[in-house]
Amino acid sequence: MKKGKIIIALAGNANVGKSVIFNHLTGLHQHIGNWPGKTVEKAEGTLHFKGHTIDVIDLPGIYSLSTFSIEELISREYIAVENPDLVINVVDASVLERNLFFTLQLMELEAPMVVALNQMDMAKKKGIKIDHKKLEKILGAPVVPTVAPNRTGIYELTQASVDAVEKGAGKPGRIRYGEEVETRIEKLSKIVSKLQLPYPARWAAIKLLEEDDEIKRRIRQLDPSILLAAEKLAKEIERIHGHSCSTVITSERYEIAGRITREVQQIVPPTKLPMRDRLHALTTHKILGYPIMAAVILSVLFAIFSFGDYTSQLLSTLFEHLHCICEGLFGTGILATLIWGGIIEGLIAGITIALPYLIPFYLVLYFLEDSGYLSRIAFLMDSLMHKIGLHGKAFIPAMLGFGCNVPACLGCRIMETERERLLATFVVTLVPCAATSVVILGLVGAYVGVQWALLLYLIDLLIILALGRVAFKVLPGESTGLIMEIHDYRIPHLETIVKQAWFRVKEFIKMAFPLIIVGSFIIKLVDVLGLLELIADILSPVTVVWLGLPVITGITLIFGVLRKELTLLMLSTLLGTTDFANVPGFGPREMIVFTLVTMLYIPCISTVAVLVKEQGWKRALFITFFEIAFAIVVGGIAYRLLMLTGM
Amino acid sequence: MEKRLSELEPGEIGVIVSIQALTNHRHRRHHGWGFQKRLEDMGLTPGTGITVVKSAPFHGPIEIRVRGSRLAIGRGMARRILVRVEK
Repeated sequence: MKKGKIIIALAGNANVGKSVIFNHLTGLHQHIGNWPGKTVEKAEGTLHFKGHTIDVIDLPGIYSLSTFSIEELISREYIAVENPDLVINVVDASVLERNLFFTLQLMELEAPMVVALNQMDMAKKKGIKIDHKKLEKILGAPVVPTVAPNRTGIYELTQASVDAVEKGAGKPGRIRYGEEVETRIEKLSKIVSKLQLPYPARWAAIKLLEEDDEIKRRIRQLDPSILLAAEKLAKEIERIHGHSCSTVITSERYEIAGRITREVQQIVPPTKLPMRDRLHALTTHKILGYPIMAAVILSVLFAIFSFGDYTSQLLSTLFEHLHCICEGLFGTGILATLIWGGIIEGLIAGITIALPYLIPFYLVLYFLEDSGYLSRIAFLMDSLMHKIGLHGKAFIPAMLGFGCNVPACLGCRIMETERERLLATFVVTLVPCAATSVVILGLVGAYVGVQWALLLYLIDLLIILALGRVAFKVLPGESTGLIMEIHDYRIPHLETIVKQAWFRVKEFIKMAFPLIIVGSFIIKLVDVLGLLELIADILSPVTVVWLGLPVITGITLIFGVLRKELTLLMLSTLLGTTDFANVPGFGPREMIVFTLVTMLYIPCISTVAVLVKEQGWKRALFITFFEIAFAIVVGGIAYRLLMLTGM
Repeated sequence: MEKRLSELEPGEIGVIVSIQALTNHRHRRHHGWGFQKRLEDMGLTPGTGITVVKSAPFHGPIEIRVRGSRLAIGRGMARRILVRVEK
């Protein structure tokens, strides 16, 4: 028996209501971070139950425990190596067979397990009846039926989990493969059991036969001869079945999942086509699907924009008042300027992104994801995204990039592999965000012509297409197409969505604010020390000679690092006018080049902060410097082309 | 009759025969293993019955029903899944 702290891991497929259960269990005691050294989110929380302190870890939603994605690798390492006291396997009762495939793999890892048979309401609606007692007997682990959104079964689940830990719940039952496979697994696991491995011997043996890269690597270091033995056995199985051994094992595992499902479930499908199926047919319709999607996306963007715009103006007014008070208190000396301009301005830059844009973004993202619409969008947009080497899921972050690059970069997490995540992130940082649009429309749109502004958008899209393709070719690793489950439409659980959004915004504040504040402090310091003109002079070979812009644009571009719309604001400050129509040396040609450079040259500092968080320093700096260099090259070429056209 | 999954019409029913993972992509180490494993992990193993529901326009993905669930598979992946069409 065990007193004191209990550690429980939640595991299961994506979209089975795992996060709703996690939120019910942990309430407001949550911490969102990353798995060490990985770009995968780690959600932890604490639960107090009848004198027990229980740490709950929400593992990523996955379909298997192979090495296809980082999430799968992290999950199995966690369960095998960290040895949580219990694994709660959250299972979608309405798609039992697919979910049991994962359950069987958890059983093979031999961790003590309780099954939460979730979404019982949905199963009922689909006419599915499940004998959970029978399932319990077959799996050799407690099974608790739950309907997470209305807390049905959550108490029983917690009780069953604590009971299981207290009783010292052993391993769950063992599944048996076909005779030819089973004898060879046993033979191999006898050999493997002599090694000092953190995994169960039988599991390692199965993975060896499945040609699992990670296990092969580990065993090669310990005893390479075992690999040869495994290969020989795998070949034997291959000869008998006519498929690769890995295929045979996966097939048989699904076979078992199917058999169990048939044993415990009865289906009487409803005679009428249910609402959610009609909605699915409509939203994925080859013609109607697109206008519906456009309407949804536009209204979402409009909602985020108008809310963001309104709130950030409100905040700006508030901060202006604060500024006056601050000046009244501390005067306008160097120190006061530094504190205000450096630290507080940085804080403002952060807050005006986090509050007005990030919170609604997360709310909308989780709402779309939970309801199931996100996967329908991915379905419709897959072929377009393939043009830049990505698949349908990447459309969502790319689209969000038009609002703000920060949440868009965060949204790239929905991509499965590390490679796709990097590729999508790179593409997203090239999308013109709302602040960039302010410059495009406010300068080129207003003073050169709307058609030129539209041309700039078009150029940007072409650049995204081209660079996306190049990055796709250059990046190493396997490219994957789209394969995803389209789960049934359902009403999202609002409380979970709000909590998920809140904890992630908190995490963003913790991570990005220091960098934003330090960045703006440095720029202000340079300003106060009177070095801005000097830097503008140093930059003049680029700005004046190569890009053909006035010297002062060097300064504005530096401020643009903080927030892109600052390039325009600083320009009017430095020129002493808000009417750019009659500024000598800053005609239409200069405006276009200036805007083009602003559009491309750097992800703003908040985006850089989030890039660092998601991809690490090296990649963040690479993307940043690449885009600066690229912007300069493109700007210079554009300048010369415009000269040729006689503009 | 054997066909590629990408060639099936909406409403057609079939059984998966095999997944052709090998490609002639250059510089892509292990190309194919992860792809095949991924499809199999999602339940597309040889012998599995599937129903094609619809396909997205512009050579988009294909929606199929398999093992009581709904999957979307990109056209490129569907091209490499060999299916025996049931009458």
